[in-house]
Amino acid sequence: MTSLTKILTHAFEKHEGHVHIKTEAKPYSNPYLVGIGLGLVLLAAFVIMGRGLGASGAISTLVAAGVDKVAPSHAAGNEFYKEYIGDGTTNPLKDWLVFEVIGVLVGGFLSGTLAGRVKKGIEKGPRISSRKRLFYAFIGGGLMGWGAKLARGCTSGQALSGGALLNLGSWAFMMMVFAGGYAAAYFIRRQWI
Amino acid sequence: MNSPFFKFNYFGMDVSLILAFAIGIGFGFALERGGFGSAKILAAQFYFTNMRVLKVMFTAIVTAMLGVYFLSVFGFMDLSLIYIGNTYILPQVVGGLVLGIGFVVGGYCPGTSVVSVSTGKIDGLVYLAGVAAGIFVFGEMFPLIKNFYSSTDMGSLTLPQFFNMSYGFIVFLVVIMALGAFAAAEWGEKKMAAKKSEANS
Amino acid sequence: MKKFFANLNTEKKLAGAVFILGVIAIFAGNPYGGAFIKVNEKELALSTVNNSEKISVNDLADWIIKAKADFELIDLRSAEKYNEYAIPNSQCIPLVQLPEADLLRNQKIIFYSDDDVAASQAWFILKSKGYKGVYILDGGLNAWKEKVLFPKAPINGSKDELAQFEKMKEVSKYFGGQAQTDSSVTELTPSFKLPAASTGTQKLGTAPVKRKKREGC
Repeated sequence: MTSLTKILTHAFEKHEGHVHIKTEAKPYSNPYLVGIGLGLVLLAAFVIMGRGLGASGAISTLVAAGVDKVAPSHAAGNEFYKEYIGDGTTNPLKDWLVFEVIGVLVGGFLSGTLAGRVKKGIEKGPRISSRKRLFYAFIGGGLMGWGAKLARGCTSGQALSGGALLNLGSWAFMMMVFAGGYAAAYFIRRQWI
Repeated sequence: MNSPFFKFNYFGMDVSLILAFAIGIGFGFALERGGFGSAKILAAQFYFTNMRVLKVMFTAIVTAMLGVYFLSVFGFMDLSLIYIGNTYILPQVVGGLVLGIGFVVGGYCPGTSVVSVSTGKIDGLVYLAGVAAGIFVFGEMFPLIKNFYSSTDMGSLTLPQFFNMSYGFIVFLVVIMALGAFAAAEWGEKKMAAKKSEANS
Repeated sequence: MKKFFANLNTEKKLAGAVFILGVIAIFAGNPYGGAFIKVNEKELALSTVNNSEKISVNDLADWIIKAKADFELIDLRSAEKYNEYAIPNSQCIPLVQLPEADLLRNQKIIFYSDDDVAASQAWFILKSKGYKGVYILDGGLNAWKEKVLFPKAPINGSKDELAQFEKMKEVSKYFGGQAQTDSSVTELTPSFKLPAASTGTQKLGTAPVKRKKREGC
């Protein structure tokens, strides 16, 4: 397992841009141990808050708050935004998910720094240009954001949290995510392999 | 002590926000440890070269699921107080498909894109901008698709309720399924590595 | 290669442990039993003696007039009695339905019934479930009628008492009652069900909180 991981990380390193940090990036940890760690964090959220994790919800709040700032009457008239803005008594940014996502940013940075993996760059396969990659990243993000709202969650919230709670919709959602991914993989293979 | 703590009033809204931040740090840390800040690793899942996504996700789900189950059975946790969203089966199936496609095209999911931004990846940042744009488009379109969005509401349904089996038995089935998936993933990765070394030699 | 096998063993061990947990799960039973809550009888007995959880009808009237929204007022009587007359902004949950009612834990809950008995029962039920902010309307609806709706003028009262009575006259008008200035006993039923100033007997919980309690993703 470790030898395989070593091969892959080495392969990626070759394609990465300029190396700023002297320390060589450590290989990634054993996925099962990471999974247990992640599961414990999720369990902590259940035990402490009675809710799971999430990500797309925070971005939705930010989008709604932004729309509200720029065009408050339009936001108030739209049912979708209203749900995130509330009735004006509390700042919509005082939202659990927003704080959680800020924590994710910090946590990712911490882990990355400890492992020497914080480097400016663009992740992409060998056969595609950076510009095209950024273009795809934006489109992919758009699809994701749209789909996440329709399904009421993304992989963190629906699949992980809902999955652990044996929520029917979450499991169906998870299966469809894998299905969609594998189906589209063939057509996008230029980008990655 | 009873959990979920927040639902039993051990602390208020403001403290919960601080806890959100702390839990988020744990979340981000774990994701980055697993390599999920890298779009290449995430996408490799769909080409069978690196099955980390499946392994980490299912391990996490099984861990949390077992934790929730046993804590509840022992009376430490009140399972009925934990939020389970309603199942809107049709929008969730369609949303899942769209999300899966977006995953492979974009290379991230919202949570992992935040992690990638924290390690300096520009494509992650662009991806996040895309997510915000997608949500914005959804918000603007909302009046048109509102009916579809709220259709097929099956209420708050769990797998045990749906299949009419005991909760514990479903837990067992999920464990079996996850272990099977891990075995298949390991086998698949070995085969791909063998193919690769064959091609290189 | 050796390292590979060493690693595999840890994973196999993990897999084995998880499998065993899964098998135990088949027999472990229903997780929906609810949390075991230890009822601290001394604590409960002390709080009743301290009267810290009783609310006077005058205070309640004050809060309603000031449109304070940080509490849930629960009427424990039957639906018919509730429809006949109820304190404004109250919710009807007959005592028998209380165990099933899904009341939020992070707000004040004030119970009232005709007298103190049913309210005390409800108080105890919620306290044993671990709710923290539970209160009883001292004297119940009877006290409400007597002191708020139909306050009696104090006979030979002091200046303070008379001043207080003048205030209560206004308060009772607000709630559709009538101050009793003579000592004759009139029919003590309120003139109309809902005073004009109140927003009706809608669930207080839903009115100010338009933002849905989102816990999804």
